[in-house]
Amino acid sequence: MSLELLIATVPLMLIFATLFAFTTWLERKALARIQNRIGPNKVGIPCTRIGLFGLGQPAADGIKMIFKENIVPRGADRLFHLLAPILALIPSMLVLCFLPLDFPWLNENSVKAFLLDGAVIFFFAITGLNTLAVFMAGWASRNKYSLLGGMRAVAQMVSYEIPLVLSAVIVVMMVGSLNAAEIAKAQTGGDWFVFSPWGFAAFVIFFIAALAETNRSPFDLPEAESEIIAGYFTEYSGFKFALFFLAEYIAMFAISGLAVTLFLGGGDGPGLAVLPWLSVIWFLAKIFALIAVMIWLRGTLPRLRVDQLMGFAWKFMLPLSILNIFVAGFAWHAEQLDNTFITVITWVISLAILYSAASGLNQLNRGKVRPREYKYAE
Amino acid sequence: MNEVIAFWILSAIAVLGALVAVRKRNLIHGVFALLVFFAGLSGLFLLLLAEFIAAVQVLVYIGAVGVLLLFAIMLTERVAGDDDRRMTSRGWSWGLVAAVALFVVLLLPAIQELPPPEAAQAIDPSVKELGHKLMNPYVVTLEVLALLLTAALIGAVTAAQGVRMPKEEDSQE
Repeated sequence: MSLELLIATVPLMLIFATLFAFTTWLERKALARIQNRIGPNKVGIPCTRIGLFGLGQPAADGIKMIFKENIVPRGADRLFHLLAPILALIPSMLVLCFLPLDFPWLNENSVKAFLLDGAVIFFFAITGLNTLAVFMAGWASRNKYSLLGGMRAVAQMVSYEIPLVLSAVIVVMMVGSLNAAEIAKAQTGGDWFVFSPWGFAAFVIFFIAALAETNRSPFDLPEAESEIIAGYFTEYSGFKFALFFLAEYIAMFAISGLAVTLFLGGGDGPGLAVLPWLSVIWFLAKIFALIAVMIWLRGTLPRLRVDQLMGFAWKFMLPLSILNIFVAGFAWHAEQLDNTFITVITWVISLAILYSAASGLNQLNRGKVRPREYKYAE
Repeated sequence: MNEVIAFWILSAIAVLGALVAVRKRNLIHGVFALLVFFAGLSGLFLLLLAEFIAAVQVLVYIGAVGVLLLFAIMLTERVAGDDDRRMTSRGWSWGLVAAVALFVVLLLPAIQELPPPEAAQAIDPSVKELGHKLMNPYVVTLEVLALLLTAALIGAVTAAQGVRMPKEEDSQE
C-alpha cells in the first residue's frame, strides 16, 4: 500500500519540479524575445563552452539559491517567517494528485486512491490555502511593503475565487460529477467543453481568474516590483525565496491542469487508440500551451490598478459567470431533447446572450469610470 | 490499525491546535492555531469517509472564515499582532464546570454505549447521495438558506455603503 502511494506520488513531484525548472528558463527566454533581448544563454554544460541556449540556467540558479544567506529581519516573527514558504508549497503540491494524469505505470487501484468523488471541490478548497501562506509571509516579515502585498493578495484571491469556482460549476453541471477522471472521460473524442458557447465563456473566465489566483501578470499586484518591491516576499532570500518561486509555478501547473481537465478534454487527443500512454503527453502539452499563453500575457499586458482589479472581478466576471450558469442550464435541457435543430438554435441564442451580456457589462463599467482624481498631487 | 494511528495523530493535532488557539495572546498566532484545529477536524471527517464535509470544512472554515478573521484583525486599529496584556481569568472555575458539563453531555451516548439513532445509521455520506438529498427532499431548505445568505450579503453591502453615497454625488455636482 505505502509502496503504491510512493509510486503514485513521487513521479508527480519529480516531473513537475523538473517542468518548473524548464518553465523558468522558457519564461525568461520568451520574455526576452518579446522585449528584444537574448535572455539567459551562457550557462550550459560546465567546464565547456557549450551553451545549449542557456538551458543550464535553472540549475545554476538553484545552486545559487541554496547557498545564499538566509536573512530574517530583526523584528520578524521567526517561526511564521519560516513556515510561510512551506505552507505555500504544500497545497500546490498536494493539489497535483487530483489531476487525472493516467501514468502508464499506475494500475487501476493506485489511481483511484486520489481520484476522490469530490476532487474538484477538494482542488478549490486546497488551492485556497495559498492565500493564507501569502498573508503569513506578509505579516511575519514585519515590513510595511510585505504587509501591503499580503493584504492585496488576500483581497485579490478572495475576489477571484468566486468567478473561478462559478465557471467550473458549469462543467460539473454538464457532466453531473465532481470526479476529475469522469469529467475528463466525458470529453473524449474531441467533445471538449471549450467548443461550446457557454464552455468557451466559462473557460475564458476561468483562465482570467486563474491568472489572478496565481498572482500572474497582469494581476501581479501583490508582488508589484515597481510599487511595493515584490510585496509579500520582499524579506525573503535564499532557499525560502526559491520555495515561494517553486510554489508559484507549481500552482500555475496545477490550475492549468484543472483548466485542461475541465475544459480542454484532459488527456484527450489524436493517437490514443494506438498508444494509450500518449494521454499523459497530451495532458502536459495542453498545460504547457496554457503556460505559454500566461508568459505571453505577462510580456504584453501592463498591470491593473487596484480599483480596476476589484471592479473587474465583482462587476464584470461575477455577473457574467452567474448568467453563464443559467445559459448552461438551459443548454443542458436542450441537449436532453436530442434534436439537431434545437441544438443549433440553442447555440445561436446562447452565443447572442453571452456576447451581448459581455459587451453590455463592458459598456456599463466603462460609463462609470471617472477621470482620474489626484488626491495628494496636483 | 492505520485508521487508529491516523485518528490519534489527527485528534492530537486538533486538540493541540484548539488549546494553542485559546491560550495564545498573539491574535494572529491564535488564528493560525485555530486553522490548524480546523485542518485536523477536516482530516477526521475524511477518516469517517465524509469527504464532501471534509472538503467543505477546508473550503469554508480554513479558506473563508480564516481569511475573514485575518481581515477583521488587520482592519482593527492598533493591532500589531502581539499583545502582551494578560487575559482576565476571573471565574475560570465556572468556565471549567461548564466545559466539563458540556463534554459529559456530548459524550453521554458514547459512555452509555448507546447505538446511534437510526436516521444517522442510514446516512450515506458520499457526494452523490448528498447531492441527491439536497436537490430532492431538502431543496426548499436549501433555497431558503440561500435566500437568507443573499439577504445578509446585500444587507452587509448596504450597511457598508452607509449614508455616504448621496453626499459624494452632491459634491460631484
